[in-house]
Amino acid sequence: MKPKVAFFDFAGCEGDQLQVANLEEDLLTLLGQVEVVSFREIMKEHNEDYDIAFIEGSCTRLQDEDRLKQIRKNAKIVVAIGSCATIGGINALKNYKNLDEVRQIVYGESARLFDTYAARPIDAIIPVDAYVHGCPIDRNEFLQVVKSLLLGKKPEVPNYPVCVECKKNENICAFDRGQFCVGPVTRAGCNSCCINEGTICWGCRGLIDNPNENSQKEILIKYGLTVDDAIGKFKLYFGWQEGKR
Amino acid sequence: MKIISKDEFSNFVDALIKDEKWNVIGVKAKGDKFAFGPLENANELRLDYDVTLLPPKKYFFPQRETLFTYNLADGSSAKNPETKPSVIIGVHPYDIVALFHMDEIFRDTKSDPHYFEKRNSTVIIGVNMQKMSKWNFAPYMGCAIVDYGYDLMLTDLGNRYAISVGSQKGGELLSKYAKNVNSALARDIQLVGQKKREIMNMSQQKFDFSTEMIPELLKETYEESGFWEKHAEKCLACGSCVLVCPTCYCFDVKDNPDLALEQVERIRTWDGCLLEDFAKIASGENFRPTRPTRYRHRYFKKGKYLFDRFGFISCVGCGRCSSNCLPNIANPVELFNDMYHEIHSKGVKVSPAQTPEVNIQTEGNIDYVPRLATIINKTVMTPNETLFEIKMDDGSELGHKPGQFAEISVFGIGEAPISISSPPTKKGSFEICVRKVGNVTNKLHTLKVGDKVGVRGPFGNGFDVDALKGKDLLFVAGGLGIAPLRSLFNYVVDKRKEFGHVVLLYGCKEPRELLFSKEMEELARRPDVEFKATVNWCPDGESWGGNIGVITTLIPQVSFDPDKIYAIVCGPPVMYKYVIADLKARKVPDDHIIVSLERRMKCGVGKCGHCQINQIYVCKDGPVFNYSKIKGVPEAL
Ligand SMILES: Cc1cc2nc3c(=O)[nH]c(=O)nc-3n(C[C@H](O)[C@H](O)[C@H](O)COP(=O)(O)OP(=O)(O)OC[C@H]3O[C@@H](n4cnc5c(N)ncnc54)[C@H](O)[C@@H]3O)c2cc1C
Ligand code: SF4
Ligand code: SF4
Ligand code: SF4
Ligand code: SF4
Ligand code: SF4
Ligand code: FES
Repeated sequence: MKPKVAFFDFAGCEGDQLQVANLEEDLLTLLGQVEVVSFREIMKEHNEDYDIAFIEGSCTRLQDEDRLKQIRKNAKIVVAIGSCATIGGINALKNYKNLDEVRQIVYGESARLFDTYAARPIDAIIPVDAYVHGCPIDRNEFLQVVKSLLLGKKPEVPNYPVCVECKKNENICAFDRGQFCVGPVTRAGCNSCCINEGTICWGCRGLIDNPNENSQKEILIKYGLTVDDAIGKFKLYFGWQEGKR
Repeated sequence: MKIISKDEFSNFVDALIKDEKWNVIGVKAKGDKFAFGPLENANELRLDYDVTLLPPKKYFFPQRETLFTYNLADGSSAKNPETKPSVIIGVHPYDIVALFHMDEIFRDTKSDPHYFEKRNSTVIIGVNMQKMSKWNFAPYMGCAIVDYGYDLMLTDLGNRYAISVGSQKGGELLSKYAKNVNSALARDIQLVGQKKREIMNMSQQKFDFSTEMIPELLKETYEESGFWEKHAEKCLACGSCVLVCPTCYCFDVKDNPDLALEQVERIRTWDGCLLEDFAKIASGENFRPTRPTRYRHRYFKKGKYLFDRFGFISCVGCGRCSSNCLPNIANPVELFNDMYHEIHSKGVKVSPAQTPEVNIQTEGNIDYVPRLATIINKTVMTPNETLFEIKMDDGSELGHKPGQFAEISVFGIGEAPISISSPPTKKGSFEICVRKVGNVTNKLHTLKVGDKVGVRGPFGNGFDVDALKGKDLLFVAGGLGIAPLRSLFNYVVDKRKEFGHVVLLYGCKEPRELLFSKEMEELARRPDVEFKATVNWCPDGESWGGNIGVITTLIPQVSFDPDKIYAIVCGPPVMYKYVIADLKARKVPDDHIIVSLERRMKCGVGKCGHCQINQIYVCKDGPVFNYSKIKGVPEAL
C-alpha cells in the first residue's frame, strides 16, 4: 500500500509547497510511490487519514499548537519543511521586536484581536521526525528526504557548514568577491546553491550544531562589516536558534 | 628537451581537442581566480596562473563519484561505464608531487581501482610556475620543481615553450599531435635551468627552520594542549583547509536511490577530519570531539603520520589551505614556525627526522562491490539486538579469522561494519549480532529470513589464535563486546583441549540486556570453563541471581597466574581504561592484554580515514590490538 501524504501550512509563505508543486516530472515519478490526500497547492479535497505529514511555516500563535498536536496524532511521520518550520525562519525576526509593536504593525487597529507570540519552529511544539531545511526548500533535497522515508531511513541532514559544499563546487568565496557570507556557520545540504549563483549564503538552513559564532562575527567585521551589521546577519534566520524566544 | 613555438603549442592543444578520443582539460580563468576545466579551444588556456581553486586531484578522486550501481530488489550490480582518457594541461610541479602522494595512499595494502583507472589513462602535461601565489611555500617542501610524475613538462621561454618529455606516453602524444617540435639548443636548456632557480626563490613565505624537523617538532607538541587550543580557537570546523588540499584523501560513502526506487548508486564524496562528525559513531561517542583535537589531527596527519608511513611530509606547499581559511589559522608555515619557537624557547633540541623504512605492498584491488548473501536465520535476543545467520549465495565460506569484521550492506540504505560473531569452526554460514542504533542497523532488523544482504570482507586483523594456543585465557566482555569475542570464545570451546584454563567475564547494564543467554546457561554448566556474569543494576520486576556491579567487580573474583593468562577485552569505549588498570594491578603484563576497538568506519580497507586513531587504522591494523602496541597511542583508549 502506498503511504498517504498530506501537506499543512502555518505561518509561512507557502513557497516551499510551491517548490514541491513545481517538481513536475520528478513529482510524477514520486507520486507513483505515494498517495497525496491533502495539498492546497494542487488540490481542493482534504483528508484526515494520512501517514506522512509535511508541515510548512512556523508556529506564531497559541491557537496553532492544538492543530499541530492533532497532526502529530494522525501522522506516523512528521516532516518540517522550510526554514519557518525547521528553525523558526525569517518569522523569528519579529522575536527581536516587542510583540505588541509587531501586532500593531501587522494588524493595525484590530491588533488587540489577534494573539501572536514569538515565532517558533514546529519542533518547539511537537516531535519532528525529519527536516527539509531551506528558504525555500531545495527540490532535490525534498526528493531525497521522501526517498529516504519511503525506504524506512531517517533522512541524513549534514552537520557541517555550507563552506564544505561551496569548496567542492569550486566557487570563489564571497569574501574574496567583497561580499559577506554566513556559510561557515550555516548547515549545508543545499549544495551551496546561492553561492554557486554568485551570491552569498544568508543562513536560511539555520546554524550547524556547534557553530563558532564568535569567529564568524569576527570575520564579518575583519572583512569590513560594522558590528551591528554583523549581528544583523545573524538575526535574519538564526533568531530562534540564538535563543531569541 | 624539446622546443615548440607558442603558436604551434596552441595548434597542438586544438588538435587534441579536435580528436574526440580525449577529454582535454586545462587551467582556465574563473573570475579573477583559476580552475581546471574542460577546454573548448587552446585560447582558454591560462598557463600563467598562480594557483587553481581546487587541485587536479578532482579528476582522479572526484568530489562525488559513483562506485557502482545496484538493483534495489536483488542487489545485483553493474560496473561503471568506461570513461574517455584525459589530457590535463598546466599542472604545477607541487600538484604533480601531490598526485604522487595520492598514488601511494591509494595503492598501499590494497589498490583503489576507481582512482587508478583514471590515473593510468590520463596524460599529465605540467608547466613550471610563472607566478606563485603569495601563500605558496612549495620551494621549502621540495615541490616547486619536479623531475618525475609528468608526461610532458613545459617551461615558458617567452615566445616558445621548452618541453621535457617525461614518459613514452608524452613523447607519443607530442609526435602525433604537434608539428614543428625541435630539439632544444644549449641556450634554451640553460634558460630553463635559470627559470627553475628563480622559482626556488619566488616564495613569499618563510620557514624559520629546516622543514625536515617537522615530524620531530610535532612529536614534541602533541600533548601541548594549550598550543592547539590557542591556534584552533577561531576554527570554524568548516573543512575548507582539507577540502582544497591536493593531498587530502578522506571520503564518505553513501547510498543514493533513484526516484523510482529501483536503482541505487553507491557514491563516495570528499570528507575531512576537521568536520565535527568525522569520527563520531552511532552511539553518540565522538573520538575527536573538539576543534583543537581535529585541528591537531590535520597537522599530524600531514607532518607525522604519513611521514612515518611513506617517508614524506604530505604537504606540497601549495598554500591553498592558508588562502581558504577565513580566520587565517590554517597556514602551515605560521603554525610550524610558532611551534618551532615555542619548543625552542623551552630549550628542547629537535633534530631532522630520520627517514623511516618504508615498505608499501599492494595485494590486489579493493572490491567496493559486496558479494550477495542471504539471511537464513534470525534470533531475536533482546528488544535491540538480534542474531542473524547469513549464508553466502555462491556457497563459499566467508573464510574469516576470529575477531575480524565484515561490511554488511542493507540495500537502499548503506553499509556498516559488523563483527563476525561465529567461530570459523562453524561451516556453511556465519553469524552477526547486531544492535539497532541507526539507519543500516535499524533496517537490517526489519529484514526477514530469505532476504538478501551484501557482504564485503572479512576485514582487519583478528585474534592471533595460534599464539594463544596452550595459554590460559581470560575473556572480559562488556555489552555488545561479546559479539566479536564470541567468535574466538566459541572457537576455543570447540577446540577446548588446545587451550589452558578458560574464564569468561561478561557484564551488561541489566538482566534483560544479556546476550546469548541460552549459550551462557550452557556455559555455566560446563566444568571446563569458568563463567561469571554481572549486571550494573537489576530493576524491580526482573530477576538476577548473579553479581551486581560493573564488569570490574568480577575481576577480583577470579584467580589466575598473571604470567600465564592472556586477557581478551572488548566492550564500550569507556570500559577499557578501567579493565586494563585492574588487570595491570593484578600484574598482567601489557603484552598479555588484547583488545578489540571500535571506530567510525566507511571503507574498511585503510583509505577513507574515518577509523584512524593517531597513525593507526583500526580497520586495517585492528580492530584487534595487543595492548603493548597501542598503549602509547594517545587517541586509542
Ligand atoms: C570493527 C567494528 C565492529 C563492529 N561490530 C558490531 C557488531 O558486531 N554488532 C553491532 O551491532 N555493531 C557493531 N559495530 C558498530 C556498528 O558498525 C555501528 O553500530 C553501525 O555502523 C551503525 O550504523 P547505522 O547506519 O545503523 O547508524 P548511523 O548512525 O545511521 O551511521 C551511519 C554510518 O556511520 C558509520 N558508523 C556509525 N557508527 C559507527 C560505529 N559505531 N562504528 C563504525 N561505523 C559507524 C557507518 O558507516 C554507518 O553506516 C562495529 C563497529 C566496528 C567499527
Ligand atoms: S562563499 Fe560562503 S560558504 Fe562559500 S566558502 Fe566562502 S564563506 Fe564559505
Ligand atoms: S546557500 Fe545559504 S541561504 Fe542559500 S540555500 Fe544554502 S543555506 Fe540557504
Ligand atoms: S579552514 Fe580554517 S576554520 Fe576552516 S576548518 Fe580549516 S582551520 Fe578551521
Ligand atoms: S596542507 Fe595546505 S599547503 Fe600543504 S598541500 Fe595541503 S593545501 Fe597545500
Ligand atoms: S585525515 Fe588527513 S587526509 Fe583526511 S582530511 Fe584529515 S588531513 Fe586530509
Ligand atoms: S580507513 Fe576507511 S574504515 Fe578505516
